[in-house]
Amino acid sequence: MRSEPPGAARRAPARRGVRATPALVLTAALAALVACGGRDSRKRAASGDQGQETVAALATLPWDSVVARARGTEVIWRMWRGDPSINAYVDGWVAPRLRDRYGITLRAVEGQGPEIVNQLVVEREAGRHTGTASLLWINGETFSNLRREQLLAGPWAGRLPNAAYVDSTSPIVSRDFEQDPAGYESPWGRVQFALIYDSTRTPAPPRSLAELAAWIRAHPGRFTHDQGFTGTTFLKMVLYAKAGGVRGLQGGFDSTRYAAARSGVFAWLDSLRPFFWRGGTTYPPDVSAMHRLFANREIDFSMSNNQNEVVTKVRQGILPPTARALLLTDGTIANTHYLGIATNAPNAAGAMVVADFLLSPEAQLEKLKPDVWADGTVLDATRLPDEWRARFAALDADPRQLPRDSLAKYARPEISPRYHERLAADWRSHVRGRQP
Amino acid sequence: MSIRMCLRRGSAADLIGLGAGVVLAAPVLVGIGYAAAASLGVVGPGATAAGVERIARVLAERTTWRGLGLTLWVAVLATALAMAGAVLVAVLFRGAGWFDRVARGLAVLPLPVPHLVAGALGVWILGQSGEIARVLAAVGAVRMPAEVPALVYDRWGIGLALTMAWKESAFLAVVATALLATRSVDVEDAARTLGAGPLQTFVRITWPILWRGLLPAVIAVFVFVAGSYEAAALLAPSDPLVLPLLVADRASDPDLGRRGDAYVATLLLLGIAVLAVVAHEWTRARWEPLDP
Repeated sequence: MRSEPPGAARRAPARRGVRATPALVLTAALAALVACGGRDSRKRAASGDQGQETVAALATLPWDSVVARARGTEVIWRMWRGDPSINAYVDGWVAPRLRDRYGITLRAVEGQGPEIVNQLVVEREAGRHTGTASLLWINGETFSNLRREQLLAGPWAGRLPNAAYVDSTSPIVSRDFEQDPAGYESPWGRVQFALIYDSTRTPAPPRSLAELAAWIRAHPGRFTHDQGFTGTTFLKMVLYAKAGGVRGLQGGFDSTRYAAARSGVFAWLDSLRPFFWRGGTTYPPDVSAMHRLFANREIDFSMSNNQNEVVTKVRQGILPPTARALLLTDGTIANTHYLGIATNAPNAAGAMVVADFLLSPEAQLEKLKPDVWADGTVLDATRLPDEWRARFAALDADPRQLPRDSLAKYARPEISPRYHERLAADWRSHVRGRQP
Repeated sequence: MSIRMCLRRGSAADLIGLGAGVVLAAPVLVGIGYAAAASLGVVGPGATAAGVERIARVLAERTTWRGLGLTLWVAVLATALAMAGAVLVAVLFRGAGWFDRVARGLAVLPLPVPHLVAGALGVWILGQSGEIARVLAAVGAVRMPAEVPALVYDRWGIGLALTMAWKESAFLAVVATALLATRSVDVEDAARTLGAGPLQTFVRITWPILWRGLLPAVIAVFVFVAGSYEAAALLAPSDPLVLPLLVADRASDPDLGRRGDAYVATLLLLGIAVLAVVAHEWTRARWEPLDP
């Protein structure tokens, strides 16, 4: 039932037009307000945030004092929550021990790389000196972006008692995408890229990039890569090959060397794209979609940044029991993931204690177990007490894991995050730009 | 009526109405303000200096316009299919018998299904390894499931449009059924008494009532489908990217300097919504004087 008199609707546009003006003015005022807030908060960030000062002060205290300050507090940890195995380890194994030993309540919440940076930038713009999360799971370009934006507190990582066990001689652990962590992040786990295949469907899988290319041509529509981080890592391995090895790209970003290697990558991709899944016209959004396609037999290879993910995914029933990890002899990229503390961390002391516990031999060993997460350790076995060294050695014998010497033989370090950024952007414009 | 006039007349109802309007509009206006400021490089991740580079860059990219085209195509197709389904249900099953009641109940069944679940169902049923493909392979219609035309990650977004149409048809069916139950019976009876046949009654009476009554809901569905992320993330192709995926793609760009592009894409999405609402208001303004 209409409540206005006949004809009112025809007059309405003019009235709405008049009323639209205050809305536009209000919008403009809000934009100006937001902009002013952004500038002010950036000034505050430059002068140092509360969290930064707290971490700097904490790093000078005896460790017992840090633990005493952390006791009875809550630590919010922003991390990727997409894997049930990781969630079970954090919620079911780590959290109860932190509560029992330190009285710390650990609350892991969703938030990976780009989201973490975006969230912290917005919190800074909102003028929040005390943010929401204290501990962050980061590496690579996220670390680079957070450092560039001065959103990470530190240095503190060297202050952790368990840092003494870290494999600091390994370039893969001590450098994060060629960046010096400089104490602004503490290593947590180490992984290596691997292809995933089904040993019954593909009994003789390709062992090198050249063999992979031949296999793709011989099996049209059975191979693809995802559009996310893992897919870009795969393309970066091709980049290494086209640059004559990782050494051709080490030493910071070089646009000339990058351009030459990128041409090789795109030539390789263009020659193979007609043989990709769906003719290379579309790509799975992420590795979970790839795992699904692989499990449903739509493609014959999946991939992962963790060489042991196949073990946990088989256990979860996501991948078939005959799925196996595969390292290419050209080398596969290995990297380390880290823990950082935000400059606006509400509980920096608690975050440091949690990071130290996660670095302990006990927590690292548990995380390494194939039945738990199968995430590689960042500890150097030779630095560990005998008891722990023996326990780590016993896990090495697990047949479900790739042999440690094979992993070491084919491991290639990360390069400047700028390569990752550029390759992701260039792939996007190259592939999407070529579609009719 | 201005605030001053409200105050002068002491109309509490007007003031409450104005307050409610402000409360409802404030988050949207703040969002628009922030997105506009971020598009201009004043705030947001990677903001360095004010300028129109982000806007120019996004608008100059072919992927943006192809994404906009796919977004509009999927939204139009899904809305049209959903509306057709809703009208069929409302017209064919309007009786009080148990069969009609069951049919109406089944038609609104998708209503409580979350969009994420609807997307997952779309993958499960429409994928090349999905249920339809497996059944067709089992009965020998195709040699293997993968031979079934791709409806997930497909270039034309057919799987996404079908899934959204299924999900949104329930909402439109509820509205359409209520419209016919409350507004059409007497007029249709009168038309039939005057000698109109079933087709004439539908064209002259039922359809105009349905169309005008459904229009706001249709606009809402169109805007929702255009801006929906969950099902698109599971079903839409990687090239071109529908606008909600383009926003997410840019917001998580490894290059911090490119993340502000997401706000420009957001404003484009907002533009679609505004145009749809303006089109609705314009249409309503033309029709209202004609209403009995």
